[in-house]
Amino acid sequence: MRLLLVEDDTMIGEVVLDLLRAEHYAVDWVKDGEMADTALLQNQNYDLVLLDLGLPRKDGLEVLRSMRTRKDRTPVLVATARDSVQQRIAGLDAGADDYVLKPYDLDELLARIRALLRRAAGRAEPIFEYRNITINPVTREVLVDGTQVSLSAREWAVLEALVARPGAVLSRAQLEEKLYSWRDEVSSNAVEVYIHGLRKKLGSDLIQNVRGVGYMVPKA
Amino acid sequence: MTHSLRGRLLWFLLAAITIAAVAQATIAYRTALHDADQIFDYHMQQMALSLRSGTPLSNDEARARLEADSSASGNDDMVVQMWSPDGVQMFHSVSRARLPQRAVLGFSNVRANGTTYRVFSIQTSNQTVQVAQDLAVRRNMAGNMALRTLGPIAVMMPILMLVVWWVVSGSLQPVARVRSQVASRQADDLSPVSDTGLPDEVRPLVQELNLLFGRVKTAFEAQQHFVADAAHELRTPLAALRLQAQSLDRADNPDARRVAVGRLTAGIDRATRLVEQLLVLARQEATAAEGAVSRPVDLADLARRTVADLAGVAAAKGVDLGVQQADPATVAGQPDALQILLRNLVDNAVKYTPGGGTVDISVQHEGANIVVQVEDSGPGIPPDERERVFDRFYRVAGSEAAGSGLGLAIIKAIAERHGATLVLDASARLGGLKAVVTFNSPAR
Repeated sequence: MRLLLVEDDTMIGEVVLDLLRAEHYAVDWVKDGEMADTALLQNQNYDLVLLDLGLPRKDGLEVLRSMRTRKDRTPVLVATARDSVQQRIAGLDAGADDYVLKPYDLDELLARIRALLRRAAGRAEPIFEYRNITINPVTREVLVDGTQVSLSAREWAVLEALVARPGAVLSRAQLEEKLYSWRDEVSSNAVEVYIHGLRKKLGSDLIQNVRGVGYMVPKA
Repeated sequence: MTHSLRGRLLWFLLAAITIAAVAQATIAYRTALHDADQIFDYHMQQMALSLRSGTPLSNDEARARLEADSSASGNDDMVVQMWSPDGVQMFHSVSRARLPQRAVLGFSNVRANGTTYRVFSIQTSNQTVQVAQDLAVRRNMAGNMALRTLGPIAVMMPILMLVVWWVVSGSLQPVARVRSQVASRQADDLSPVSDTGLPDEVRPLVQELNLLFGRVKTAFEAQQHFVADAAHELRTPLAALRLQAQSLDRADNPDARRVAVGRLTAGIDRATRLVEQLLVLARQEATAAEGAVSRPVDLADLARRTVADLAGVAAAKGVDLGVQQADPATVAGQPDALQILLRNLVDNAVKYTPGGGTVDISVQHEGANIVVQVEDSGPGIPPDERERVFDRFYRVAGSEAAGSGLGLAIIKAIAERHGATLVLDASARLGGLKAVVTFNSPAR
C-alpha cells in the first residue's frame, strides 16, 4: 500500500512517517501544497493521501479540490487542527473521505486508514476469506486451515495489495510501487521472490498468475 | 431629591412659580395698601374739608352732603363726627362704630372697640370735623387686589408645568430611544448607536460611548483572529507531542527509543518556546493597553547588550554577529520591550542565516530619526511575503528553522507602541534580509 503524507510540521511528519513505515506502508512525505500536487500528478498510484489542511504555498483544501476536479478518486484522509463544524463540513464537501482532528491518536489514525483502504477496495468486511485461507488486515493474521502462518513484512505488503482488490490484476511494476517509497532501492526480481514465498506458505491457489499482465487474488 | 431630570425640573419650576407668586402678591399688597392709604387719606381730607363750611351745618345738611360724597366715593365705611367748639356733638353719621370724642388735628390712627381707625380731624372757628375710616377696609381692598394679581399665575401654573413636562419629555425621547437600542442589542453587537436628534448635552456622551464601542470592537476582532490562529498553532505542537509520546511507547529497541525521546524533548522545547512567545506578545499588548510610562532608552547600549547576549548562539552556529555602528541615540520607551524587540530581530537573523554567514546590527541618526538596522546574509524574504510575515503565526514556506511564527508579530507590536516603523527589505550589502526600525521622535 502506498501512501502520500502531506504535512508541513516537521515533528508531526517524521513521527507519522516512521509509524506508517513501521506498519509496512510505502510512504512518501511532502511538506507543502504545491509539492503534494506534483507528487499526485507524477504518481497516479497512491492508495491513500493523508492530508493536512493548513499548508504553506497551497492550502490543503485547494489540493483536495484540484484532485477531485481531475477525477482523482484516491481516498483522502484529512488530518487537521481546523476544528470548527463549518471547516469540517467544508473539508468533507471538498471531497475528503474522512476527517480526523489534531491531536489524534495513532491507533485511531491507522484504523481510519485501514477503513478507507477497505472501502476503496469495495469491501465493507474487514476479513478476507478464500477457501481455506483467512486474512485479517488489522491483526496481520493469516490462517491456513486455522493454523497461523507468519509472513515477512514485504510478503505481507504484496499480499495486502492483492487482497485489497480481489479480482483485479496488478502488474509487477504496480506491486513494486505499492512496496517501495521514494527512498527505497528496488531490486529487479523482488516481487517474484515475494510471490514465490507466499505461494509456498499459502498454497498456489490464492495468488494467480495472469501471464504477460501480472498477478491477482480471485474474488472470494 | 429625585434623580429624574423631568421630576427635578418640575419641582424646581413649581417652587419658583410659588415663590414668584408669593413675592408678587406681597408686593401687590403693599403697593395697593400704600395707594389705598394715599387715596383714602385724600378722600377723607376732602370730605372733612367739604363738611367744614363757614357756618355750622344742620344734621340734615351735613348728611345730604355726606351722602353725596359717599355715593361719589362709593364708600359707606366713613364715620363722620362734628362738634361745636364747646364740645357738643353736632353731627354723627350712621355707623356701628363709636369713636372716642377727642381729636388730634390732622391724621392719626385710633384704636377703639377692637378696630383700628384712620382718623382725620380739622378744626375751624365754629366746629371740629372728624372723618374716620376702619383700616380693615383698606387692608381688604389691598388684599383683594393682591389676590387678583395671583389669579393669572394660578391659571398659568398648570399650563406652564404641562408645557415643561411636554418639552422635557420630547427632549428626552431620543435618550430613551438610545437606551432601548443599547438595552436590546446582543452582547457582541458593537456597532455605533445613532446620535441623531439627541440633545447637545447628551450627544457627547453617546459619541464617547460609540468611540468606546469602536475600541472594544477592534480589540474583540483582534482577539477572535488570534483565537482562530492560536487554535491551529497551539494544537499542532500538542498533536506532535502526542504522536511523539505514542511513538516512544511503540519503540521496541533502544535505538528507536533514543530517537523517540529526542523527538519528544524537541517537541516539548517547541511547545515551551511557543508558550513563552505567546506570553511575551500578550504582555506587550497588555502594557500597550495600560499605557506604561516611558523612560529614556539608549539604543546603542541596548544593541551592544543584545549582541553580547546572542554572541554565544551565533558562534555555535558559525554566524559572524557584530555591531557595525552604534551612534549614541536615546529614545523614549520601555527598556524591557525595546530589548525584546532587538533581541527578536537579531535572534531571527541568526536563526535564518546559514553557518558562515554574517549578521550586522547598526544604530544611527538619519535627520531627526533614529534608525536601527539588522542585516543578514541569509535567504531573505520574498518581497510579496514581507507584509504577511508580521501576521501572527505566519511562517515563510520552506523555511527550515523552527519558529513560533510570533517573533515578528511581537517586534511589530513593540515598534508600533513606540511610534516606530518596521520595514523589511533586501540587504544590498549582505544579500539577505534587512530589518529597519525607524524611531520618529527622539527623546528631547
